[in-house]
Amino acid sequence: MQSHARDIRDALLFSAPFLLVYLAFLVAPIFYGIFLSLHEWNILSGKSFVGVKNFADALRDQMFRSSFLHTCQFVLLSTPSIVVAGFCMALIVVSKSRLNKAAEALFFSPYVFSITVVGTLWGWLFQKNYGLINQVLNSFGSPGVGWLTDPVIAMGSIVVATLWWTAGFNMVLFVAGIRQIPDDIYEAAHLDGATNLQVLTRITLPLLRDTTVLVVILQIVASFKVFGQVYVMTGGGPYGTTRVLVQYVYEAAFTYFKMGYASAMSLYLFLIILAVSVLQYVAYRNRRR
Amino acid sequence: MKRLVGWAMLFLLLVVWLIPIAWLVITSLKIERDVVTEHFTVFSSLPTAANYIKAFGKTEISRWLLNSVIVSAVTTIFSALLCSTIAYALARIRFPGRNAIFIFVLAGMMVPFEAIIIQLYLEFNALGLINTLTAMIVPRLAAPVGVFILTQFFQGIPSELEEAAFMDGASRFIIFQSVIVPMGKAAIVAVMILSFINAWNDFLWPLVVASQSARYTITVGIANFQGTHGTEYSLIMAGGVIASVPQILAFLFFRDHIVKGIATTGIRG
Repeated sequence: MQSHARDIRDALLFSAPFLLVYLAFLVAPIFYGIFLSLHEWNILSGKSFVGVKNFADALRDQMFRSSFLHTCQFVLLSTPSIVVAGFCMALIVVSKSRLNKAAEALFFSPYVFSITVVGTLWGWLFQKNYGLINQVLNSFGSPGVGWLTDPVIAMGSIVVATLWWTAGFNMVLFVAGIRQIPDDIYEAAHLDGATNLQVLTRITLPLLRDTTVLVVILQIVASFKVFGQVYVMTGGGPYGTTRVLVQYVYEAAFTYFKMGYASAMSLYLFLIILAVSVLQYVAYRNRRR
Repeated sequence: MKRLVGWAMLFLLLVVWLIPIAWLVITSLKIERDVVTEHFTVFSSLPTAANYIKAFGKTEISRWLLNSVIVSAVTTIFSALLCSTIAYALARIRFPGRNAIFIFVLAGMMVPFEAIIIQLYLEFNALGLINTLTAMIVPRLAAPVGVFILTQFFQGIPSELEEAAFMDGASRFIIFQSVIVPMGKAAIVAVMILSFINAWNDFLWPLVVASQSARYTITVGIANFQGTHGTEYSLIMAGGVIASVPQILAFLFFRDHIVKGIATTGIRG
């Protein structure tokens, strides 16, 4: 009985420091955010309770709707391309090519750069007059493209920079998944005279389902949170065509000081990401069964 | 022949993948008028360190680097301390409510930091800590994902050593120091590396909380470089190189740890 009391005391001592910080700077802000979202508050004026008005206003707000659409556009463009790129990289890395070690290191290396360096670097590569890509195009006699200044292309350019940056992350997860597939399955397929394409579609892809689900969901969550590269590369332009959700929340809060309204919008973002995370949990549970 | 073609294509792809990094370095070594020019050349006639000298001399980049080092190092150390102590309690001590606390902490993994930025800002504003490095460090300390990794790892440590130490009358603090930390070193190092990289790359929160450039971390400083240095691309690229040196070193020395950490946890920075 005495040792039981000691267990409780020790458990309390060991977990209290973490829990205090966790409560103060993660749990409390969530509830404070819900409280704020129900109020109108412009920092200078006092808070006034407005119920769900902020949530309803957001749905009617042209800027909120467009930044939500741009975010979805980014998610839809980036998720398939970055997942497929990561998968192709993984196939190269696990192949018997003599370059596979170098490939693994090179494909992963962009991921170690911070987002603002990546954004700045690609902003320079895409620069309209003196950037590398247009300089090369010019030398072939092409007039060059407004990669970040053309409203139709800008979001695609941001996706390209993001793909270069993070495809290596997905590659790592795919490589780990592929290496878990037993070798003898491949050997048996080989003996039966299966072609490479058949091995890919009948063995690798089906056995890699769990990894693929994980990669896709992590990618969707990361893509919904897109901000840094947009902030650095286009600042939301041209004509607001790349303004994303996190950026609009940031502007509403720290440029226009609409704290209640911004909290309501950030709760929408929270709900979207929560929904995707729940999907991940469901997929994980199905796997365990 | 077919293999040779495949090899050549892969080689070409790897070169393309490397070009942006090469261009970052090459641009940083050029003089300004070789960069902003219609007469495009790959290399400058004379590579120069002038941009690096200017970056250190005329900008606050060394200050930002120092801020980033302080923020990342302190975050890494204290986060490892907080996460490993609670992970020890959750993994090795039987007490009522243990599962509930574990789930309560894990649920935090689903909370995107982006969604609590405003409230955190107001909280630190009320504490009078806006524009301080403390504000950049504290919200990153309680990392649920670190608890998750360490708890799982600590559960796998054989209990004989712990029991033997108990027999000798050791307290849990002694056991934590002399058994759990040494045995769990691999996982603790993995958590520390990931938390260092995440802290170093953190962007939105330092951007919100630092209003004076003297308080910028390097990621925020680089983001604002274009605003203050416009078209001085060679200087901006030199800044990018300087900002990336710690990560490149970390990558070279800890690549296996980093890759293994990602493969087992799927944590994204």
